[in-house]
Amino acid sequence: MSTEPPLKELALHDISVRFGGLTALDNVSLRVAPGRIVGVIGPNGAGKTTLFNVICGFVQPTSGSLTLDGQPWRPRPHHLSRLGIARTLQGVGQFGGMTVLENVMVGARHRHAESEALAALERCGVARYAAAYPGALPYAIRKRIELARALVAKPRILMLDEPAGGLDSDEIAWLGGLIKETGTTVLLVEHHMDLVMSVCDEILVLDFGKPIALGSPAEISENPKVTEAYLGAAA
Amino acid sequence: MTAIEARPATSTKTMPGAPRRRRVHPAIVIVVGAVLVVALTYVLPPFRNYQLATVGAYFCVTAGLTVLTGLNGQLSLGHGALMATGAYTLALSQNKWENLPLSFALAVLVTTAVGAVIGLAAARLRGPYLAGLTLAVAIVVPSVTSTFDETFNSDQGLSVMLNPPPEQYPMEQWQAWLCWAAALIVVLLLALLVRGRFGRDLRAVRDDETAAKLAGINIARTQVLAFVVSAACAGVAGALFAYLAQSVSPGAFPLTLSLFLLMAIVIGGLGSLFGALWGALLLVVLPTLSQSVGEHAGSQRLEGNLALIVFGVVLVVVMLAAPGGLASIPSRISRLIRRNR
Repeated sequence: MSTEPPLKELALHDISVRFGGLTALDNVSLRVAPGRIVGVIGPNGAGKTTLFNVICGFVQPTSGSLTLDGQPWRPRPHHLSRLGIARTLQGVGQFGGMTVLENVMVGARHRHAESEALAALERCGVARYAAAYPGALPYAIRKRIELARALVAKPRILMLDEPAGGLDSDEIAWLGGLIKETGTTVLLVEHHMDLVMSVCDEILVLDFGKPIALGSPAEISENPKVTEAYLGAAA
Repeated sequence: MTAIEARPATSTKTMPGAPRRRRVHPAIVIVVGAVLVVALTYVLPPFRNYQLATVGAYFCVTAGLTVLTGLNGQLSLGHGALMATGAYTLALSQNKWENLPLSFALAVLVTTAVGAVIGLAAARLRGPYLAGLTLAVAIVVPSVTSTFDETFNSDQGLSVMLNPPPEQYPMEQWQAWLCWAAALIVVLLLALLVRGRFGRDLRAVRDDETAAKLAGINIARTQVLAFVVSAACAGVAGALFAYLAQSVSPGAFPLTLSLFLLMAIVIGGLGSLFGALWGALLLVVLPTLSQSVGEHAGSQRLEGNLALIVFGVVLVVVMLAAPGGLASIPSRISRLIRRNR
């Protein structure tokens, strides 16, 4: 499993994470090739967000290693943006005391922050809320703002943690379009199956921290182990 | 915060930056302020000029504290002690070398260093624990003066050797100029610092540390920097107080001073430099007012505590009427007018 040659972009090698007696991730390996859209799915508590937290350096793996562009890599949260990795948060982590525009400007780590932030808001269709405070806005709008803040850094790897949560079908269709056209590498944790199946090139399925399947959407949808994990019975 | 403007701005396609209200450059505000202050010093009687100078000194520390507590979310109960550090440094240096600019520079330098040490510890602490640490600083620093009483002369304190001001200017007017020159420079530097990326980083760290990290902000470094900047301001204020009183003693920097500073910036409007100005004004006006009330009531005992009561009452009233503090009142009024039109 870990004998594969080093690859461009991001790779996880036999990552395990244990919290006390609980094994949140159990020997997970994943190679994320440039430009690919990789989905991570699994039932609640499968370890999807823990996987993201390992890549972001919020959680140290108990064993295993990460490589970035073939180099051994120990991620630190505040270095990610400099390395071209952006992540959205499940709970819409926004800066309540700042305007929407300022929220997005925080993500822009270069000059011209204001015009770049406006362009990102425009791209996500929420530029008209630039002067508003996020706390007063509907959830779906805030999700888009969160997305704009990730996009403004022009990341080469975009990590989306349940971006479709709380969105209606029109908004999910819009989100799917945006993910496909970013042109960057995307790592996507999502419960919404239609979205995952339609945008991903490759899908990793986790169940109780164990990788149980890895393959194209077509392969995954026909995999009996996946159905079992989701429905709790052999298909 | 409380000021919510959910009203979508007009189209932004053609003009980037359109939804932001164009702000006046801080330097213009400072120049106008300087002209006003200089004009005032010619009209005011000497004692009022002395009070004006005190407002300027307080303005330095409240401005620094509002950046730390209001913008960066770090609660400090120890700024009175940082002021004491600045004051004692000025006194010691002045009595040794009699060079006022040098003494001021040393006061700021030493206080900044002390602030950096506290800031390094503070960056690891949150909420009540941070408050506890800074509270300890506020209590410990005055007692240092009695422990090393050969240097600091215990409760008696030190007197500060000062050269008289140029003959053509009255003492109090000169004091007001000096204090306000310092205050306006401090506030201008702060305003320039917080209007750009550093200011955004400060507020991002205050609002959500996880999201701030992911946006590439080094949380600990930002917090330590905020503390250092804020401590430097407290150092300036402390040095000014030593200069104004021509003496320093631990009694001038009690724990209640730190509490008053905090109340002042909350009443003025947390995170706002204008709010810090209101706070500084109240720090001079309210104790004077309560003192005269106490004298009218004829009670000697009330005097000291009355200021605290008055401050508490003002805090409650302002928080009820304008939760964003005094500095938020103009924008509240303008919004009310817009809504009723």
